[in-house]
Amino acid sequence: MTAEEDRTGDSRRTGDRISLDRHSTRYRTDFEGLSDEFHAKCPVAWNQEHGGHWFVTGNRQLFDLARRADVLSNDADVRNERRGYDGISIPAIPKERRNGMVGGFIEMDPPAQRHYRNALNPYLSPAAVARWQPVIDEITRACLDEVIETGSIDFVDDLANIVPAVLTMAMLGLPLADWGVYCEPTHASVYTPPGSPDWQRVRDLSVKMAGRLAESLRGIRDNPRPGLVNAVLTADIDGSRPDDGEALGVVQLLIGGGFDTTTALTAHSLEWLAHHPGERDRLSSQWESLRDSATEEFLRYFTPAVGDGRTISQDVEINGTRFGEGERVWLSWAMSNRDASVFDDPHTVRMDRTGNRHASFGLGIHRCIGSNVARATFKTMLRAVLDRMPDFACDPARAVHYDTTGVINGMKHLPATFTPGERLGAGLAETLTKLQRAVDEQRLAEPVTVRRERAVLDD
Amino acid sequence: MKVRVDGAVCQGHTLCAMTAPKLFVLRDEDGHAQAVSEEVPADQEELAREAARSCPEQAIVLF
Repeated sequence: MTAEEDRTGDSRRTGDRISLDRHSTRYRTDFEGLSDEFHAKCPVAWNQEHGGHWFVTGNRQLFDLARRADVLSNDADVRNERRGYDGISIPAIPKERRNGMVGGFIEMDPPAQRHYRNALNPYLSPAAVARWQPVIDEITRACLDEVIETGSIDFVDDLANIVPAVLTMAMLGLPLADWGVYCEPTHASVYTPPGSPDWQRVRDLSVKMAGRLAESLRGIRDNPRPGLVNAVLTADIDGSRPDDGEALGVVQLLIGGGFDTTTALTAHSLEWLAHHPGERDRLSSQWESLRDSATEEFLRYFTPAVGDGRTISQDVEINGTRFGEGERVWLSWAMSNRDASVFDDPHTVRMDRTGNRHASFGLGIHRCIGSNVARATFKTMLRAVLDRMPDFACDPARAVHYDTTGVINGMKHLPATFTPGERLGAGLAETLTKLQRAVDEQRLAEPVTVRRERAVLDD
Repeated sequence: MKVRVDGAVCQGHTLCAMTAPKLFVLRDEDGHAQAVSEEVPADQEELAREAARSCPEQAIVLF
């Protein structure tokens, strides 16, 4: 009997069956209505789409399941050496299309997953990230200086794409000037579905990026330089070092995680602030007291990474639901963040919200390892825009949201106009040259366990 | 009021130290939290409650 037949015959579950394609327009445009409906009727539903899977949206139910590493697996067993699990994508990426690629440690279980995180945490902890603040400030300044005299900006193309990308390159130990090679394919591959007119172009760019990355990994293997890449290449994973393919998967995870999510959060937040000028002025004037709570609220409300897939690794009953080994589960961080049983008035942005225990960075052992980088980068960009473009206005007709928000709730473009201002310093290219020198000379990409000092940038 | 962080539950979300920086410290290596001291000063009790309420993993124990 297949899992689907079993469900059909189980009357206890008939009220909990839904049919929702996360890549559909309905998911994107009726997100709030669907969230309310699921919370009221089926906080743990059986979704018949994408091959059949559990769809968890209730905050309590998600909390009780997502942290159960003992019954959940992230394993992408691409060579069918264990139980053949499909990693974290739902719908699953067909194994024949993976070419043996595992998406880094988010598609692994402990102990290997823990070994990677232990190796990388000292590069990404709050103390580690704080050392980069002068660099984040300087990239942000240069991006804004490129457009400040013109009175117009695309917040995605001219700011939110660039700052996270350049910073991620620096932390990885890759050449800053290469950021453009990685940026476009990393974003476009998230929002360009296979078969669409742009697919071939995006694929070509992705191939070029993978080639450049493989070349850089070989370069760092031969001539080590500080950074996350070196940490991956030299990590002790269960007594051995990762091979080239596994290392490539881990670094691509760090790039994907570092680029697209913070861009999505920043674009959505700026768009919201443009359409709520009173709240924008309040955030600007009460920055010290609202900065953190507003950031957490934007994270909750816009949830850039909308959810994660898992596989049930052993039969278990939780809160009355019987999960069977091998069944797939979608943990909807985004919908659980709108559960009225935990968040008052859940579909409203309240910048001073308290008790905001959102799940936007995930829950449990796979908590987003870049969460501290995301927060620091987001706050820096937001503060700079509020300071230097306080009257920015976005044209709703020209803002372009992702066609599908089934994986990342992001934006392609967010054009805005503002009263022009004065440049403060050099443009982006010159700034990157200067920053590269600082990264190299001060060995900024060392882990915090090796180097504790903040970056020092001279004018 | 007393406070401690359950180290087996904390995943390093860092919200407690953001909310109540006098009560919680984060480890340099991984950002996981510890209570500065078990005793919560009277003027910090409200912040301790807010930190516990906002912890995504519910790792903060008040007693």
